[in-house]
Amino acid sequence: MSSGLEEEHEALLQFLYMAPVGLVQALHSGEILMINPVCAQLLMPLSVDGGLSNVFSALRDVLPDLQHRVESFEAPHGMICEALQIQLSSSQSGKKAPRILSLSLLKLDAQRLMGLLSDVTQSVKRDRELRHSQAWIHSVVTGISDYALLSLDEQGGVRDWNPGVERMTGFGSADLMGFSYASLYPADAVPASRLLDRLHEADDSGWSLDEGWRLRADGTRYWGSCLIAPLHSRDETQPEERAYSLILRDISDKREAHEEMRRSVSCDHLTGLLNRRAFFEAAELELHRWRRSPRNLALVMIDADHFKQVNDSHGHAGGDAVLRHLAAGMCASFRVMDLIARLGGEEFVVLLPATTLEGAQTVAERLCQTIAHQHVEVDGQLIRYTVSAGVSMMDHNVAGLEGLIKRADEAMYRAKASGRNRVELWRAGDVRAVAGTSIDAPPPHVGE
Amino acid sequence: MNTEKQTSFDSQPLLDFLTKAQDKELDGLDFGVIGFDDRGVVTRYNSFESNAAGLSPERVLGHSLFTVVAPCMHNFMVAQRFDDAKAQSEGLDVVIDYVLTLRMRPIKVKLRLLSAPAVATRYVLVHRL
Repeated sequence: MSSGLEEEHEALLQFLYMAPVGLVQALHSGEILMINPVCAQLLMPLSVDGGLSNVFSALRDVLPDLQHRVESFEAPHGMICEALQIQLSSSQSGKKAPRILSLSLLKLDAQRLMGLLSDVTQSVKRDRELRHSQAWIHSVVTGISDYALLSLDEQGGVRDWNPGVERMTGFGSADLMGFSYASLYPADAVPASRLLDRLHEADDSGWSLDEGWRLRADGTRYWGSCLIAPLHSRDETQPEERAYSLILRDISDKREAHEEMRRSVSCDHLTGLLNRRAFFEAAELELHRWRRSPRNLALVMIDADHFKQVNDSHGHAGGDAVLRHLAAGMCASFRVMDLIARLGGEEFVVLLPATTLEGAQTVAERLCQTIAHQHVEVDGQLIRYTVSAGVSMMDHNVAGLEGLIKRADEAMYRAKASGRNRVELWRAGDVRAVAGTSIDAPPPHVGE
Repeated sequence: MNTEKQTSFDSQPLLDFLTKAQDKELDGLDFGVIGFDDRGVVTRYNSFESNAAGLSPERVLGHSLFTVVAPCMHNFMVAQRFDDAKAQSEGLDVVIDYVLTLRMRPIKVKLRLLSAPAVATRYVLVHRL
């Protein structure tokens, strides 16, 4: 090689060393052929075995269906996924640890994949804030002819209202005056404490916006957007002098488009439950509310027992059917207000606001028994399976969402260790003894 | 002088030797040596490391370690530990398992991180497994 070529080669090497995004080339099996430093830096803390030989196993805990996506991509080349956002749990030390990664994966040919990985934690946060502002402006300037306006006292009690309320909801003044604005919501849609949370959030950020099912006087439902803004000045210190305005709009006609977008971003492709990212986002908000005013908050981890055996004896179609069956069972057992999510593989989680330990245990045990007495039919074959669950409660000794999940996880592993098909409550001294796909395993290459 | 023949990645203690060693002595070692100041600017770079990374010393010396050479060490496992040690006015001598991307190939290595409050140059030593 001439020295000119050598120098060029060296410059190219350094170009890749310095590239501020992660680049990786891998075989369809996931085996890594080439990887640049930023990509290694992003993947290494996720890698369970501390090595970096396979991109699928490095991402297994946070993106369990990546290999499946690659295998089911039939075109000879093309984008398998583009800027797919991956939610990480925040158990890594270091305040600047990334929480959201973006992955684009290109199929180069029949053998090779090319991946682009970057840390998008900050830009996602900015986007979210921007979206909220846009939603706020949107809700103020559009559909101004079709809105209901109420004013609320510091407890969320209705003090005043405009005629639009009756036109839109059918509620008369006698139905609402003096009652909590909870009357506008279906009974199981929000816990009572959430209504006050919204007022506090409006105090903090100037407004609080949410969309969801609302109730008319005749019992029918509509999809409504609800904006709450404080009427008092920001530094008003006397709680009893606080007052809020609530603007309610019927946006049923936009619901379908909205839901479709929400599903594509927030839902697990197989089960339709929340995906990791949507769960962590919503659960962090719930934890934020808890920190402001601690109240009952329970978490249940659920894991299908011997799932590998189900996959081995009934194939992936059987495994998928079991996961879908379990997801449906969870939706039937838990409430609308609970956050039900698939964290990955056969691992599920539910966050239950306004629920006691006993309450969470009861629901989890009911689910456990229901599943054990049912079967799933796949291609004429009957599959029976069971689940194990662990329950934890939020309190001041728990280190945030990660700590809450960790406790439930430890209790769940005691349920597994004591014979499966059962529910265990977290107790001091629980340690997760079984090695496996812990979502918060410490990076294995530290702590020599 | 035959110190370089006896000096290995695991030698104890090593920081004193590195500080006193001529560049030529560092070039004789069978593991990578990267020395840098408290701003992260590379001041020493031996030939073992140069060959492994495929970068000549001219491209590296005088530049920021965590930008042009090893962005993958700019994290809590490596860079942060030097900063923490300095903040607590303590010395640092630890060995960690790591994966480096030498010439864009993932290579398992052991890294030895060395620093002392009174010594201006910090060192990352790279031992290929």
